[in-house]
Amino acid sequence: MHDGIVTDGLTRLFPGGVGLADLSLEVASGEVLALLGPNGAGKTTTVRLLNGVLRPDRGHARVLGLDPATHGDELRRRTGVLTEHAGLDDRLTARENLHYAARIRGITGPAVEARIGELLDRFGMGERADQPVRGASTGQRKRLGLARSLLHDPEVLFLDEPTSGLDPTATRDVVELIGSLATEHGRTIVLATHFLGEAGRLADRMAVLDRGELVAYGRPADLADDLWDGLEAEVDLGARATTEQLDVVAAVAGVHTVEPSPAGAVLRVAGRDVLPHVVARLVGAGAPVYAAVPRPPTLEDVYFEIEARRAASAGLPPAPDPRGVPT
Amino acid sequence: MRTDWTAVWGVVAKDLRAVVRSKSVVIPMLAVPVLLMVFLPGAIGLAARAAPGVQVERLLGDVPGDLARPILDLPVEEQLIVLVNGYLLAPLFLIVPLMVSAVLAADAFAGEKERKTLESLLHSSIRDRDLFLAKFLSAFLPALAVSWFGFLAFVVVANGVAWPVMGRIFVPTRLWGVMILWVAPAVATLGLAVMVRVSARTHTAQEANQLGGAVILPLIFLAVGQSTGLLLVTLPIAVGIGAVIWAVALLLLRGGVKRFTRDALVAQV
Repeated sequence: MHDGIVTDGLTRLFPGGVGLADLSLEVASGEVLALLGPNGAGKTTTVRLLNGVLRPDRGHARVLGLDPATHGDELRRRTGVLTEHAGLDDRLTARENLHYAARIRGITGPAVEARIGELLDRFGMGERADQPVRGASTGQRKRLGLARSLLHDPEVLFLDEPTSGLDPTATRDVVELIGSLATEHGRTIVLATHFLGEAGRLADRMAVLDRGELVAYGRPADLADDLWDGLEAEVDLGARATTEQLDVVAAVAGVHTVEPSPAGAVLRVAGRDVLPHVVARLVGAGAPVYAAVPRPPTLEDVYFEIEARRAASAGLPPAPDPRGVPT
Repeated sequence: MRTDWTAVWGVVAKDLRAVVRSKSVVIPMLAVPVLLMVFLPGAIGLAARAAPGVQVERLLGDVPGDLARPILDLPVEEQLIVLVNGYLLAPLFLIVPLMVSAVLAADAFAGEKERKTLESLLHSSIRDRDLFLAKFLSAFLPALAVSWFGFLAFVVVANGVAWPVMGRIFVPTRLWGVMILWVAPAVATLGLAVMVRVSARTHTAQEANQLGGAVILPLIFLAVGQSTGLLLVTLPIAVGIGAVIWAVALLLLRGGVKRFTRDALVAQV
């Protein structure tokens, strides 16, 4: 039995159009899946289908070996969800919100108070545990929502924009926590996010959705292999490479392309083993080589390349890359 | 499948705690019962004491003799008090369970959408049926409690103020008994059932209250009709009205339960 997540042709239609079309993917236990895509891409619909809140029109899914459409109640006992709006009752205190969540999950007894106290402290909410949630900042709400989603020690976590509204320190803490939940505690995590940086740090697999359709799915490295031939590397020459230096590099076997960059040159090579030859030739030609570093594509690179190629195939101008990198 | 009472009472307790802290819900919810159950009988009693000779025969002129007889047979100084506090207020009292259940149901159902707490609730492990039951109880139990405590207050005030005139306890009457124990729960259920339907079409508790307010009008007409003698609710009629209200409420509620699924609810988020 598969302990993670498997979907096959999962489809949900809405009166206004397709919510999700023919989603097929597989996430192993303990892996992090990043669901990426613009607003309206189908990320929230996917989470709802996987947690048995929505029923599919076609296809099926298995989460922790259970069919969410038929065993949703049983499944939801073993999953935790942080929704985009955190979903806390403003009229209750932080502690009362957690008590409420515990009771509706059937968690009672003296251990509950200790567990709630531990989570409040862990998420930095101990000092305002007995104040109403009304007045709490977005970051505090997110942290409290995260604490609630972990209350029953779920095996699968669905996190919708877990770091939006958090300050940099809180973002770092939450990202580290999510990472440790997967790597140390073996939790399977579905992370729906707009923040490619955090997705890149956490995700074992990525699924790019657009208007309900799965555009790309797989491990970022595998997707990168499909997208690009070879490996990108950067050579630091202390200044923009001259034409002669670029010609020297281009003549090395295994160098596919080379372009100048502010610090030297960016090249695409067949593999890491090409780089020592590049360095040797440059040194031989009298160029000062401060560093030659392979730059494997990040999840961001993969995402924007996929978007750019989709736009190109549709005859549209490429979407601007918020990092300022030409696509 | 067995009801998960821990989860059900968890939702009920949370809803009640939250409502008690919400002045915008509590104040209007308690103002009407206080007006109807405390101020009105108090004022009537004081007026009767101030003018003990008020004739009520004209008021009862259009009422069939058999129905008016129990009042007209009383000493003149008791007639106004018994007519108003013993009979005319009884149907008016139905506004209390109706209003309280409607206000709380709007908060319990549409309010979850308004506060953006519905989705996280749907992602929890509580079953659809248990969630509906919890939301039902969150509105029904307070409606009944307010009605019954309001009635107790009414009994104390009405008898206390009228004591110098009456010299005896004259409410509750049998009509009041039927109203409190049979019709009031039915009316509370009706208000709730309507609000469940209305809440599915609205996004805020206020919208639900405005739309659901239409339900209260027939009851007000009934009460006004009663107070002008056009429609006198006798004991069998009160029992019959209660039965009809129960039937309509349960029918509406059954439809509400059928539509109360996660799939349908999350589409409204």
